[in-house]
Amino acid sequence: MKRILIAAVLLASFVTSIDAATLEDKVVEHTMKNGMKLLMVERHTSPTVSAWIRFRVGSVDERSDERGIAHLLEHMLFKGTTTLGTKDYAAEKPILDEIEGVAHALMAEKARRGKDNTAAITALEKQLSTLEAAASKLVIKDEFFELYSKNGGTGYNAFTSRDGTTYLISLPANKLELWAAIESDRLQNAVLREFYTERSVVMEERRRSYDADPESKLWETFVASSYLAHPYGQPTIGWMSDIENLTRTKAEQFLHSYYAPNNAIIAVVGDIDATATIALVERYFGSIKPGKEPAPVTADEPKQAGERRIELIAEAEPTVMIGFHKPSIAAPDDYVFDVISMILGSGRTSRFYKKLVIEKQIATDIGAFDAPGHRYPNMFVISANPRAPHTTKEIEEAVQAELDLLKTAPVAERDLQRILNKIEYEEARRMGTNGGLARNLTEYEATTGSWRYMSEHRGKIAKVTPADIMRVATTYFTRENRTVGFITKKGGDK
Amino acid sequence: MRALLVFLCVLVTVMLQGCCVVNQRLADPRTMKFPELNFKIPSTERVVLECGIPVYLLRDTELPIINMSAMVRVGSVYEPAAKAGLSGMVGSVMRSGGAAGTASETMDDELEFMASAVESGIGSDMGTVSLTALKKNFSRTLQIFSDVLLRPDFSEKRIEIFRRQTIESLRRQNDDPKEIAGREINRAIYAGHPLGDITTFESINAIKRQDLVDFHQRFYRQDNMILSVSGDFDRTALLKELNSVFKATTQSTTLVLPEVPQPQQRFQGEILYGKKDVNQTVIRMGHLGLTKDSPDIYAVRLLDYILGGSFTSRLTMEIRTNQGLAYSVGSHFDIGRRFTGSFIAETETKAESTGKALNLMNKIITDLTKEQVTDAELYAAREYMINSFMFGFTNPASIVNQRARLEYYRYPDGYLEQYRDNIAKVTKKDILEAAQKYLHPDAFKLVVIGDAAKFDLPLTSRGSVREFDLKVNIPKP
Repeated sequence: MKRILIAAVLLASFVTSIDAATLEDKVVEHTMKNGMKLLMVERHTSPTVSAWIRFRVGSVDERSDERGIAHLLEHMLFKGTTTLGTKDYAAEKPILDEIEGVAHALMAEKARRGKDNTAAITALEKQLSTLEAAASKLVIKDEFFELYSKNGGTGYNAFTSRDGTTYLISLPANKLELWAAIESDRLQNAVLREFYTERSVVMEERRRSYDADPESKLWETFVASSYLAHPYGQPTIGWMSDIENLTRTKAEQFLHSYYAPNNAIIAVVGDIDATATIALVERYFGSIKPGKEPAPVTADEPKQAGERRIELIAEAEPTVMIGFHKPSIAAPDDYVFDVISMILGSGRTSRFYKKLVIEKQIATDIGAFDAPGHRYPNMFVISANPRAPHTTKEIEEAVQAELDLLKTAPVAERDLQRILNKIEYEEARRMGTNGGLARNLTEYEATTGSWRYMSEHRGKIAKVTPADIMRVATTYFTRENRTVGFITKKGGDK
Repeated sequence: MRALLVFLCVLVTVMLQGCCVVNQRLADPRTMKFPELNFKIPSTERVVLECGIPVYLLRDTELPIINMSAMVRVGSVYEPAAKAGLSGMVGSVMRSGGAAGTASETMDDELEFMASAVESGIGSDMGTVSLTALKKNFSRTLQIFSDVLLRPDFSEKRIEIFRRQTIESLRRQNDDPKEIAGREINRAIYAGHPLGDITTFESINAIKRQDLVDFHQRFYRQDNMILSVSGDFDRTALLKELNSVFKATTQSTTLVLPEVPQPQQRFQGEILYGKKDVNQTVIRMGHLGLTKDSPDIYAVRLLDYILGGSFTSRLTMEIRTNQGLAYSVGSHFDIGRRFTGSFIAETETKAESTGKALNLMNKIITDLTKEQVTDAELYAAREYMINSFMFGFTNPASIVNQRARLEYYRYPDGYLEQYRDNIAKVTKKDILEAAQKYLHPDAFKLVVIGDAAKFDLPLTSRGSVREFDLKVNIPKP
């Protein structure tokens, strides 16, 4: 009986390995002479295409006086080029330069804190707004957006993370050349016009996403407190005073250091012909000169030698986050963490859910994930909301009990098989959307060095043993390596 | 030697570039021409099962996955205000509380081992149960799907867990200023209608298990639902399976759906304020809108895009792009499918520019009721709507669900087929008339959450302000 079961399992994995090969079969890879990497998948489900461009630069690459620039630059790259977004760049440029001079003077004045210079500040502010109004007359506002949307483009957006910056759009399949024209222009001829207004927009984004949202504010504080040396600790959006002191000059320096074809990965997925797409991309991007190879981050986070506890007092109910430092993506132990993460935190059969939400009912929800980035050593994080009258302390204890159990009791084979089954399903499902596939291809190519990380993932997970899990749990889930962040309600319950 | 090679490579690169620049055949994005693309709406098949349930089918073998969903004529509008939260509880515990004698834990384990999912929920005017499974696990997952849909057990233990979780979420309902504002603008717009009711500690505690059983029994009937299936199925085998799982039964009672009146159009302005110790103010303003049965919906969709529905809309252009007063600003006509929808304009801005942002929003909205939009605005909005239409049809599951939804809400025949033509017909005059008919800034319910002490203009300069208490009054258990 047992033999038959094994045979059945083998058969199942054989059948599914055919599915896994389809990603390998479907991805067409092309590296251009200037180093730009192009990944394509033909999908003819609908006459649409998604195009994503990922630059291997994120907030982790910022120096301390540049915090927030990767993200602000991402905003700025929507503002046009020397030919798009402007009525007359030649007339515009001298005004932009004048704005830059006044903005620097204004920042310098503001930096002289406590000095009696209110009048000087007011005068400079007035001068700046006059110049901005003059420059504004020459701008064709958001022309990239206008061109894309008139042509039926949707989801035109970009995002910046610790690890990277990505620009994305979906278009009717016959309009892919529009993307090639706009994006190759943006890469070579970007003009960071309307800089200081956009900087204000980013400050509002910061207020909205962090300052006024207690849980995000805790998250930001928690991550910052988890890193003493490595730039993963700094918030991608920057602290408020960082943003206040960013300049167009800094943004341009950053742009020219990192935005080069050899630092870019393109994924085009959808109703395309791969050969024609290669020709199109070569035609528009092929002549762009490669830049210098950007330097990797050299800071190493010193090994944590004691628990860190972070409290945020806020007008909000308690919440708790628990983090442990761990290796980066695709490191051998990272695969073990993937398994641990699913055993503890994925779905209704996960240990955290069953124990804390259903059995003890001390939490309403609990999850486990990796953060804040993947390229460099990161953290395994558990986040939960306690259910009153239960406390964050009770959650901490119950979580630690589950982590300790992993150290001593081997995980059952059925639990490991369930994880493999889940990954098999996800492998199939993720082939189902242009955008999702383009996202994964660019993300894994950038963070692990190859999109093949995806097709090899299940094989690596299958090799993780119960003994590996016990070893990793024992190594990492220690008090020394733990950071705990929690919200205490201002004034308590009244 | 190595240095020389590098030097040569660099040189070659530069020469190649020289040649490409000369041989430039790059098109200008402003004037670029494109090959024709004739998009045809994918067709789906409608079949009626032997038991009478309509099923929409779309076979697509790209992935070895089957998706399915049931839409049930139910909703929170059918729950009594004294038991607000009942429908949400029914929707959730149908899935979490076991079904057909299978305990929750067993069902969870079986589904997750197959990497299948069955989920259930009830919104304001629709209940859904959905399924996703690898093809090889479809039959077993379908059985569980039908059990959850028709034979839930509503275990007492899971009802209690859901109730306690709801109570916890009520304790947390005033933590996030945006969440507070979203809830309060909806309550203000739909005051006096079931759509404006909210769950309270009292209402959630008033619900008994029998209420769930009765509510489910009343609405989850085979004569009150529509199914849709997409993915890698064999048509004949699928229909055979569906006919065996959803057997023809004789209902002992006839289906009666309660009459729920439309919300009353009472255009009367009101200012609501809640104090939070934050550096950014959350602003929401709006009133009732229209339903899909109005002939004006096409003009309203274009108006919506021009006013606040795109990155180049008037609200975003002025308040974000030109003035840097907000990261997120916009407006939206939620066109009601069954009940009159709403119009809501929203932003968040630093406390010190609250008054300025409010004035700008009011002016921008009012301007649209006074003058026609420009040709360029109409053109841009129309082109976007028509050219992006195909993105509504990019995956098989959303295509069949959309077809089922059109039947569910009784859209007229040909709605999708004529959509682009109807958009193309809208004139600037139509948009002005729609703005005059559906936008009444004087009658906005205005919700402001923030720290009024820091505002640039006092809220009271706009009229009398009703402040609500954001302290959650937690009843003793």
